[in-house]
Amino acid sequence: MTNSIEISGLCKSYGDFALRNVSLTLPGGAIMGLIGENGAGKTTTIKCILNLIRRDAGTITLMGHDNILEERQAKEDVGVVLDECFFHDSLRPRDIGSILAPAYRSWDHALFRDYLDKFKLPERKFIKEFSRGMKMKLSLAAALAHQPRLLILDEATAGLDPVVRDEILDEFLGFIQDEDHSILISSHITSDLEKVADYITYIHRGQVVLSDAKDAILDRYGRLGCTAAQLAEVDPGDLLRVRKGSFGCEGLVADREAFRRNYPELTVDPASLEDIMLLIGKGEAV
Amino acid sequence: MIGLVWKDMLVMRKTLRAYALFLGFYLILAVMGAFDISIVTAMIQVILLMVPISAFSYDEQAKWNRYVMTFPLGRRAVVGGRYLFSLFTALAASSFGLLVCVFTSLMGRSQLEENLASVLASLGVGLFIVDIMLPLCYKLGPERARPYLYAVVFFPVIALFLAYKLGFQADLSALDRMSAPAVLGLFALVPLAALLGMGISYLVSCRIVADKEF
Repeated sequence: MTNSIEISGLCKSYGDFALRNVSLTLPGGAIMGLIGENGAGKTTTIKCILNLIRRDAGTITLMGHDNILEERQAKEDVGVVLDECFFHDSLRPRDIGSILAPAYRSWDHALFRDYLDKFKLPERKFIKEFSRGMKMKLSLAAALAHQPRLLILDEATAGLDPVVRDEILDEFLGFIQDEDHSILISSHITSDLEKVADYITYIHRGQVVLSDAKDAILDRYGRLGCTAAQLAEVDPGDLLRVRKGSFGCEGLVADREAFRRNYPELTVDPASLEDIMLLIGKGEAV
Repeated sequence: MIGLVWKDMLVMRKTLRAYALFLGFYLILAVMGAFDISIVTAMIQVILLMVPISAFSYDEQAKWNRYVMTFPLGRRAVVGGRYLFSLFTALAASSFGLLVCVFTSLMGRSQLEENLASVLASLGVGLFIVDIMLPLCYKLGPERARPYLYAVVFFPVIALFLAYKLGFQADLSALDRMSAPAVLGLFALVPLAALLGMGISYLVSCRIVADKEF
């Protein structure tokens, strides 16, 4: 099966910030969560994928199509929801259908109306009267109505209440039932990604520092909680990052079972994605 | 591209409706003889100038450009959509102007040929300004491009005024010696030249947008 996204050696420099040698692969039928702190390079990566910005180096293919040389074919099968709703306030949901239909060969009016009904979005109400949750659901309906094989979402669930987020996550899980479909979702809400993602890619300061199956990451990584004296006893090679505080120390462990065998007296808990982000983002190298 | 033109029309439906009402109002007044046809042609120019620039402003407000670039259309088609909308507006406004010409002429209030020449010249000048303004809007954004609109509109007027004051006067008596169809043909060259200019303007805009990051 063709991979939905293949990025190899992607570089993009802004002077004070650079994406360096970003490579990732999203197989068909999977959801990949893109995590990283603000300004780490997630949105820049997504903009490169969508050819919204010029890259300095690297290659990107979407469903086997080069995203620049075969841009139209590549984008035909991509649904996009970015961090805001880009529809003008003076438009109504029913207008969106008539605007987007000529842009996509496979636009399905009935499907769009079904999504509007499903998300309880009134067809004749002006978008300026919509809440943020409604706007994001409208963006999602627009992204799904041309029957894409790949959804790209950049902070699409940010600022939404848990009920709406859960509704949208359910939609993602429904979308992914077709093994030909896949999703790349960038989000700060790591608990959402723990719920739905199959793969996690963590971008830190413009570089991929972790990219693996979510279950493998959650099964393997551990969070060590200890005192400064205990930390001093640990071989630096057994820890990826550490954070030292006045009330204790934390460490990120790449293989918690092996660590437990080596240090049975220390407590290592499973590390959540948030723990991993915090320790890599705010911790220091050992 | 059709969807983008339709989007501009939907986004600007209130503005377009307001302009249509204005034009209707002036049509009635012109037919009643309260106004000269030149008011209508002036309105046409205002519409030609303001509508495409307003469309840029609305897009900027909604950050539409970033979103539209994710469509499988290509950047040229996105630019083409805006030019097509500008052309559509020009044609609609000018058709209205022609309608008023015919009405007022049929009522014997003015000469058909003179009015047609006036509409053709308005359309041509309006399109020329659009040819200059659209690439500027793509390059600078609508807000930063707006001062150039005033420059583009007022500089030729000031230049003509100064030329007149300095004693430079064009000899237009040759027009009087030409037949009416010939004069109209000459005036028709103005919008035709502006249309040609629109092709060049489109290519310049495409070049600007090709280099842009969204």
